[in-house]
Amino acid sequence: MSQLLLILFIGSFLVYLLTRMNWIIGVLANIGLAIYSFYRLFTFKVGTSESIFSLIVNQNGTLVYSELSKFFGIISLIVAISVYFFLINWLEKQKNRAVFNFFLALITASTLGVFFSGDLLTLYIFWEIMLLFSVLLVQMGKEDSKKAALNYLTISLIGSYMYLYAVFMLWNRYGTLVIKDIVQKISVETSIFKWAVLILIAAAGIAKSGIFPLHTWLRTTQGSSPDAFSAILAGQLEKLGAYMLVLTVAVFPSLKMFPVLYGGIPVFNYVLIVLGMISILIGTLMAIKQNDMKMLIAYSTVSNSGYILIGLATMDKIGFAGGLFHAFNHAIASVMIFLSFAAVIYRTKTSKIDEMGGLIWKMPLTFITYLVGIISLAGIPPMSGFISKWMIFVVLVKKGMFLTAAAAFIGSVGSFLYVFRPLAGVFLGQLKSKHKDVKEVPIFMLIPMLVLVVITVFFGVIPGPVLNMITAVEKELNIQPLEHTMTVIKSSVGQWNTLTVFTMFAVGFIIAFILYMVFPKAKRIPLTNQYTAGEFLYNYDLYHYSTRFYAFFERLYEKHPSVEKLYEMFGKFFKDIGEFLNRWFYSASPSAYLLWFSIVLLAIFWVRW
Amino acid sequence: MTIFKVAAVLLTGFFVGLTLEGIARKIIARVQRRYGPPWYQNFIDVFKALSKHGFSHGWIFDFGVLMALGGVIATLSFVPLGNLVAFPGLDNVFVVLYLFAVGALGMAMGMVGSGNPNASIGVARALTQMLGYEVPYLVSLAAIIFYYKTSSISNLMNLQADSWNLFKMPIGAAVAFISLMGMLGKKPFDTPIAPAEIASGPMVELSSKYMGLLMLMHTFSIFVEISLFVDIFLGGGSYLVFLLKFTVVWIIATLISAVLPRFRIEQVVKFYWRVPLGLAFLQAFFVLIGWVF
Repeated sequence: MSQLLLILFIGSFLVYLLTRMNWIIGVLANIGLAIYSFYRLFTFKVGTSESIFSLIVNQNGTLVYSELSKFFGIISLIVAISVYFFLINWLEKQKNRAVFNFFLALITASTLGVFFSGDLLTLYIFWEIMLLFSVLLVQMGKEDSKKAALNYLTISLIGSYMYLYAVFMLWNRYGTLVIKDIVQKISVETSIFKWAVLILIAAAGIAKSGIFPLHTWLRTTQGSSPDAFSAILAGQLEKLGAYMLVLTVAVFPSLKMFPVLYGGIPVFNYVLIVLGMISILIGTLMAIKQNDMKMLIAYSTVSNSGYILIGLATMDKIGFAGGLFHAFNHAIASVMIFLSFAAVIYRTKTSKIDEMGGLIWKMPLTFITYLVGIISLAGIPPMSGFISKWMIFVVLVKKGMFLTAAAAFIGSVGSFLYVFRPLAGVFLGQLKSKHKDVKEVPIFMLIPMLVLVVITVFFGVIPGPVLNMITAVEKELNIQPLEHTMTVIKSSVGQWNTLTVFTMFAVGFIIAFILYMVFPKAKRIPLTNQYTAGEFLYNYDLYHYSTRFYAFFERLYEKHPSVEKLYEMFGKFFKDIGEFLNRWFYSASPSAYLLWFSIVLLAIFWVRW
Repeated sequence: MTIFKVAAVLLTGFFVGLTLEGIARKIIARVQRRYGPPWYQNFIDVFKALSKHGFSHGWIFDFGVLMALGGVIATLSFVPLGNLVAFPGLDNVFVVLYLFAVGALGMAMGMVGSGNPNASIGVARALTQMLGYEVPYLVSLAAIIFYYKTSSISNLMNLQADSWNLFKMPIGAAVAFISLMGMLGKKPFDTPIAPAEIASGPMVELSSKYMGLLMLMHTFSIFVEISLFVDIFLGGGSYLVFLLKFTVVWIIATLISAVLPRFRIEQVVKFYWRVPLGLAFLQAFFVLIGWVF
């Protein structure tokens, strides 16, 4: 593993140099590195550990390869490879290509490093490398991305410093940072210590995956970072947060560490579940309001991270599996969606929903990617997204957690609402006259999108391979494994067969198609041939309903409280203090200097130094 | 064997669904002191629409219609009709409810694809209304699944052999019935269609076979929705008993809708999230503490 990481880190410098010479070769080298590490993930033996450099005396850094690292490694590399393929065409319009590529390679390397880490300090180091370069990438986007990057940095640092504090606490107490050793010792500690450590560690995951109190960075960061990088952010980096949450609830044995509350769930996990609930509600309701399509999906990420957290925190065999599977599905679906958005923005130069329309007639394959992506994201069969949502619903209902279940249902039905907005506003409806000449994106942008479509449909019909990996993770973490076959998912409250559902959908579609073919053919008329209630229309650009799509619903929660505004208030408070100090102590006039100089002199005389 | 059962379910959906829709028109007419069309009027309408030469707005319009009908046919095949169960054990409640969304999504996509803003407004309203009724409905179903420890519809149906859920959990049944009215799009919850405001909403650009296929889809949807209610709340029984219960529920829903005016869309959501959702939680609480008759 250390060898792979070394290759990746050195390789990324190589990628930089190659991109400087010829950017296409650089991108290809990047793809090569990612595919190579994807292959290597399958060659490592689970359970091997290696020791690497030591930062602290007597304490080597360790790398451990577990089923968990394999699972998350595979997710993050699928995401990375598909986005890198996308770059073959997309990067042409980006400035600073070499640096862009270089940072992406470093991010992949450090992400794998996080998954391989066997001790908390190594994890922290890789985490910070990832954070640093992702911040630098975020600020390469639109004009307001510098501010967004700062926002992202601040909130991520809140998370990672809290994590670092937990690391110090554990180091003080045990003198070791190896996760395996700590986990064995921690369950007999005082409850205050356990709460403190786990909340501090969870904070890193909460900040990274965008759970409620620390979710505010997602909107601006996703909204203004470079379009292809948004996909990496959603698919690769936010899953680091999910990994951290697995670490908190499952690797640290929350079941043994805390008393069990309602439904066989430890108290600590219950706190996390409440945060997850709030995230689902906030994410859903705010996503419905957005007019910028990237911000809309950014809020949907908040909501889906809530699902992942709830699933994981139940620590039940089906709920935990649902959480992990949802992490997988959300990664794939959000990458599909962000790549299709990147394709749209590549051609139209805008991300505002109400400035577009009817792009399906110009970019049909991008539309199909988006369609399959949202079907999976909204959790509608026969795509894979539904399977994980089903697992989470089942566990919530089985345990009688009705309030959480209601939040999950609101999030799920609400996701139909918000994913439909870009569908209706951007792809369907009347084509804007300024977009008459838009073409489909080049072939290398289409390939990864369509491959992801195939992956999503395949795992929606035959989820067995992913579920096998998930049960292996569950066995490793001492959770009862989920019962399943290749296509049947079983739970104590019933089962269903993905293949039967897909077959019946196909049969239904074929019946409908036969009926369609049997009856007389219809005449194709242009979109401008419309029912207009007798009006003559001269500008069909305006005959398109996309601004404030759900205005009647938004009005119900117009005056909602906002965490973002609260944080802004804090920010303004500190800024004011800073300005105050600045004005008094650093003002650039001789009289002020003289004043302070004499005060200091007087003070020194007074204390007779 | 499964093939014959699926075919039987689909044919039942077609004949019973269309007949009952015709009867509903008759009932509404009589409530409003009109004579009304004959009971077989809906068969005439569907076949007439299907046989005409009409207009299409491009491939997504056609594809949306196919996806809508295909999704609903798939959903219908999973619904148990009395002792006629095509997929015993695999008829999971959540799967049926979310498979239903495929059809709804297909219809929404196709109709918005026609490029008429009236359709978009109708779909936006329909989705919002869905957010309204689904949540109380799912919570009341969750209480039932929690109580019986199974989420298979046929199992839920058979487990009510001693007493129907309507009597065991009357509040939950009431919530589900109110949600059912919303699902059916019957007054007072017919805001998405609202002929006088938005020109029949999603249906504005439909003609010929598109209209016919979507009428079939609508019939099947109604059949799925009422069947779910009958299966889960009104106990099991043979195929004919099921059809009898189905007819009774359909006629009650029709009679209620015949005398009510229309809600505005935000009133729909407000109503569903206040009264039925509160009642659904009350029912769930009763189930938790064991107050089930």
